[in-house]
Amino acid sequence: MNPASRAPRAALVAALACVLTFAVAYLDRVHAQAESRQLAVFSLQATYSVPLVDINGLPYVGLVEVLEPLGSVDARRDGKKYKVQFTPPGGKKAELQFNEGRDKGKVRGNNFKIAANFAFQGERGYIPLGSVSSLLAQLLSTQIVLHQASQRLFIGGSETRYSLDLRKGTPSRLLIGFSSPVNPTIATEPGYVHLKFQRAPVVSSGNDSVTFDDPVLTGAFFSEHDGMAQLDITGKGALMANFADGGKTIIVTAAPITAVEATPPLPQAAAPPAQTATQAMPRPPEAPPAPRFLVLIDPAHGGDDIGAAITPSLPEKDVALALARRVQHQLAIKGITSSLLRTGDTNLSLDQRATWANAVRPALYLSIHAANTGKGVHVFTSLLPVADVSRGGFLPWDTAQASFLDLSSAVAGSIAAELEARKLPNTTLVAALRPMNNIAAPAIAVELAPNPSGVESLANAAYQDTVAQSIAAGVAAVRGKLPEVAP
Amino acid sequence: MTRHILATFLVLILIAIGLGAYAWYLQKRVARDAERAHQQQEIAPPGNGAETPVELYIASDEDGSLHKNQLTVVLPLERSERARAVLRALFGTYLQSPSPHPIGPGSDVRDVYVLDDGTAVVDTNAAFANSHPSGVLAEELTVASMVVTLNANDNRIQRVKILVDGKERETLAGHADLRRFYLAGNLNQVAKELQ
Repeated sequence: MNPASRAPRAALVAALACVLTFAVAYLDRVHAQAESRQLAVFSLQATYSVPLVDINGLPYVGLVEVLEPLGSVDARRDGKKYKVQFTPPGGKKAELQFNEGRDKGKVRGNNFKIAANFAFQGERGYIPLGSVSSLLAQLLSTQIVLHQASQRLFIGGSETRYSLDLRKGTPSRLLIGFSSPVNPTIATEPGYVHLKFQRAPVVSSGNDSVTFDDPVLTGAFFSEHDGMAQLDITGKGALMANFADGGKTIIVTAAPITAVEATPPLPQAAAPPAQTATQAMPRPPEAPPAPRFLVLIDPAHGGDDIGAAITPSLPEKDVALALARRVQHQLAIKGITSSLLRTGDTNLSLDQRATWANAVRPALYLSIHAANTGKGVHVFTSLLPVADVSRGGFLPWDTAQASFLDLSSAVAGSIAAELEARKLPNTTLVAALRPMNNIAAPAIAVELAPNPSGVESLANAAYQDTVAQSIAAGVAAVRGKLPEVAP
Repeated sequence: MTRHILATFLVLILIAIGLGAYAWYLQKRVARDAERAHQQQEIAPPGNGAETPVELYIASDEDGSLHKNQLTVVLPLERSERARAVLRALFGTYLQSPSPHPIGPGSDVRDVYVLDDGTAVVDTNAAFANSHPSGVLAEELTVASMVVTLNANDNRIQRVKILVDGKERETLAGHADLRRFYLAGNLNQVAKELQ
């Protein structure tokens, strides 16, 4: 083959290589966007997470998603303008305005500069992550601390700090004291105890890496990443961790390996799988955990499942999440702890929702829906025959709700009465709605339908707030009837 | 050699363009056929039996209610065919314009199988589920009206299973559970509350 005929072939190969390179780069970008990065927000009112969106290579957050759990929000897009009204609990209403493609806006009538241009995705307005702390400081008049690299935001001094106290002895013990109770995930492996704080706003005590002059416990290392904090305790041999002082202290010490070694060996044929010393050790008796009253709020749909298309630009999943946050806020005002089953635009199957709800063991499961048919608020309990079965043992998956129907109906009735008191049209019904049938706890579903002003009312902050207040008041009124559950 | 590669490349591009055009044509034809089928859909069922009064439980989205209506329909003699004819009359009411409870265009009942143990298996078409308005109450009203109507016109039908295109589906349009059997007794109680 002569050099003249090789040149076009080389050009063709080069073109194919370019196409492949662009395809790989594009797929990489799509993959990176698909990874759901979240900003964990810790305030004294609520702990929640907000999806981070990549815009022009910078992390952005949705303005409404950040503000909604912190107060009442009314936002609308007007061409290139984004107008938001935000009212914190007991505070004054603030007006915000941003323009698409501009890095300047107005907050409470004053100029406000953000780190990069304001952007829209659909009807939602997004600001750069780096500007969230200064914006919230203006709106809430409180201290805001953003740990941008680890995607953690702390509002109003919500941080939990810790101290390390090594007590030398036989064996040595490391007492980790926290300024407020924590409930980390604890993982052990030979030489390590890993404490992972996903829900608690634990922050560094000032010195992230501490070494101990001790034969058993050798160091403690603090790190933050992906919206959570982690404290790793290192040592020699197997370690164990126990809670004390109602979750305000965690004690790390050497696991009693000798106890395992002293155990007589089992016959070979009956030998169990190999166990680490930590797994095999006899656990010290622990005080039973205090019962707690938790309402689990499930904003229906999410991710690819948009639910009903309320309007072409307003999917049910967004209305459900917004209302769920308002309900959480109103419950907090009444002193009731609640948790959201999803805090972002997440895909969850019906079985996953039921599995997670049953694992949390809530005092009440509350599913939130929205629709553009009917009017007012529809409150549903499960369409199942009442079953007189014990709640203690295993329950059939498809009818797990049957033995809780009396309590579910009591909650539905109480909420209907509160809606009535606020002159909101309402209907109480039974429905074959999954995953309610699979929930082993009192469970209801609330569907927000338009008020007489039309389908746009579903996105109206005042309407949603009134409904959320009714729901919270209804739950509070029957709290005494609902069982508190050990965590 | 180079000329051969370029020629092959050009032929492949031409084939790709040709296949794309054919796919576009097929898509248009399917859409046209579906539209034609919808336009030709019968609202009242065909029948070879006598004109018979039937009771239809008609849902209303306006006030979230179920109301009993009487209609005279030509009903076939065979039991499963009669059940299908009754349901098609119910769907016909919902497909009219204006409708008290709109369901998706092209919704139809493909078959009803009535078993000796009092079970009716209703096989709806894909359009029924794919284009049904989504909502807890809207879907609940549809299911309740179907089950109560079947039971009102054949009281031996005590439980109903709804299929879509011959297969089980998780929900109707995101809410109503279609994996279960609906008991007529339960939904009669619901219907009473909704009247």
